[in-house]
Amino acid sequence: MNVAATTLTAARPRLRLPGGDLGIKVAAGLIFAALWQVLVGAFAPAYVAKPIGIVEAIPAVVTSAAFLEAAWSTLWAVARGLAVAIVVGTVIGLAMGRLRTVDRAFGFYVSGLYAMPMVAVLPLVTLWFGYTDGARMATIVFAAVLSIALNVADGAHSVPPEHVEVARSYRARWYHIWFGVTLPAAVPYLLAGIRLAAGRALIAAIVSEFFISLSGLGFYILFNSRTFHHDAAFVAVLLLALFGIGIEIVLTWTTRRFMPWYRREDRA
Amino acid sequence: MRTDSPWDRWLPPAISLIAGAALWEYVGRQTSAAFLAPFSATVARLWALIASGEFVTALGQSLELFVTGLAIAIVVAVPLGLLLARVRVLRVATESYIMMLYATPMAALAPFILSMMGFGFTPKVVVVFLFAVFPVLYNTIEGARSVRPELVEVARSFRSTESALWRDVMIPHTLPYALTGIRQGIGRGLVGMVVAEFFLSASGIGRLIIVAERDFDTAGVLAAIIVISVLGAALMGLGRAVENRYAAWRGLAR
Repeated sequence: MNVAATTLTAARPRLRLPGGDLGIKVAAGLIFAALWQVLVGAFAPAYVAKPIGIVEAIPAVVTSAAFLEAAWSTLWAVARGLAVAIVVGTVIGLAMGRLRTVDRAFGFYVSGLYAMPMVAVLPLVTLWFGYTDGARMATIVFAAVLSIALNVADGAHSVPPEHVEVARSYRARWYHIWFGVTLPAAVPYLLAGIRLAAGRALIAAIVSEFFISLSGLGFYILFNSRTFHHDAAFVAVLLLALFGIGIEIVLTWTTRRFMPWYRREDRA
Repeated sequence: MRTDSPWDRWLPPAISLIAGAALWEYVGRQTSAAFLAPFSATVARLWALIASGEFVTALGQSLELFVTGLAIAIVVAVPLGLLLARVRVLRVATESYIMMLYATPMAALAPFILSMMGFGFTPKVVVVFLFAVFPVLYNTIEGARSVRPELVEVARSFRSTESALWRDVMIPHTLPYALTGIRQGIGRGLVGMVVAEFFLSASGIGRLIIVAERDFDTAGVLAAIIVISVLGAALMGLGRAVENRYAAWRGLAR
């Protein structure tokens, strides 16, 4: 049983601190970087980003006011958008999980919109909000909220009926059942949803900055790559990657630390 | 548990669809056409797009881009994932980097591709490829890694050849995970398709949206968005169906 259970576990990010294999990893990283440096140096135009150039650019870029402002603008917008999406998505998800009619009536919209590439609504959002910070925020929330709602609904469905029955027998009110029984049981699903939502929110922020030329890391990348400062632009990509990886690490660690029994397939 | 009659199952979505359309129509009529076109205007616009043939051309361009990028991603990532799973040194060397790339928002690379490769079809395929390749690669490695060592050892003990080992152990075990990766890749590839069509050179459905937006033609924007959400739902449904069909033995079919 135990063995079967392990083989049934689907892919999920595994973040282990590199132990004895650290040498191989570092060597491989250096080989990648060297290949990149040599191949790009030999075949691509001079302005294309190369590892040495990027490393040299880091000190100047990370101390420049423009970069710090852009980074703050994007990451703060993503954080606020995620916060809104988590609250709204959790409520929608709980309602879908607890009330069959809500699930039937809105499940269709939620999963239909979830499958849609969210960047497609960007032009519509700019018509509604103008070329403003509000348009970026709306895109981030829209991109993030559905994966949270779907995952929380999954989690709420998976609550054992006996738990609800026991709560009912003790005369629990509906809000006790929603927030006292269902929500705690759905927390691991919520975390999985947040992980997906964070990736989507980052993409939404970057793409909306491209589209509406709003100050932020996306626009920083666009501007610098257009003016052939690829090395500086790439530093911003590195920061975005770090942010994405950081979220993965925090959420994986939280799941491991507080819910070690929990393993589950990601919803794409 | 209540039993599901067909009424129970189909009535709420039907009512909610009709109510949604009615609400849309009402709000659309109350506000300016540049803010939200009514449902009827959107449907009329969609019909006009289909009748003029513009729609078929756009859909064809978008699908060509999407399918090319996704196909290259699958052809590259699945064999590479199997190889990395089988050769431990390579896997240890690369898996952290693949995980990092999996978590990196690929949209950030679009401006680089634009300034290096220009406006043709190839750079757009590269964008779709980059969006789609890492979920496939990542999941394939996870799957191949989940092959129980005992199975490989038993196969070895019976003097299985390397090719038989791949055919009977590695590939059947990895396929379900690869399919999960492909399903994720479909979702991300669609985002890549729209990003490419918006920012590299306008084409396909992305161009329909952008042109309509520039003209404040909300009906046109909404019509194209409807098309893209139907496309997204259909492709995701296809991915899920393939996954369930070929991955049923994993026991996790959902």
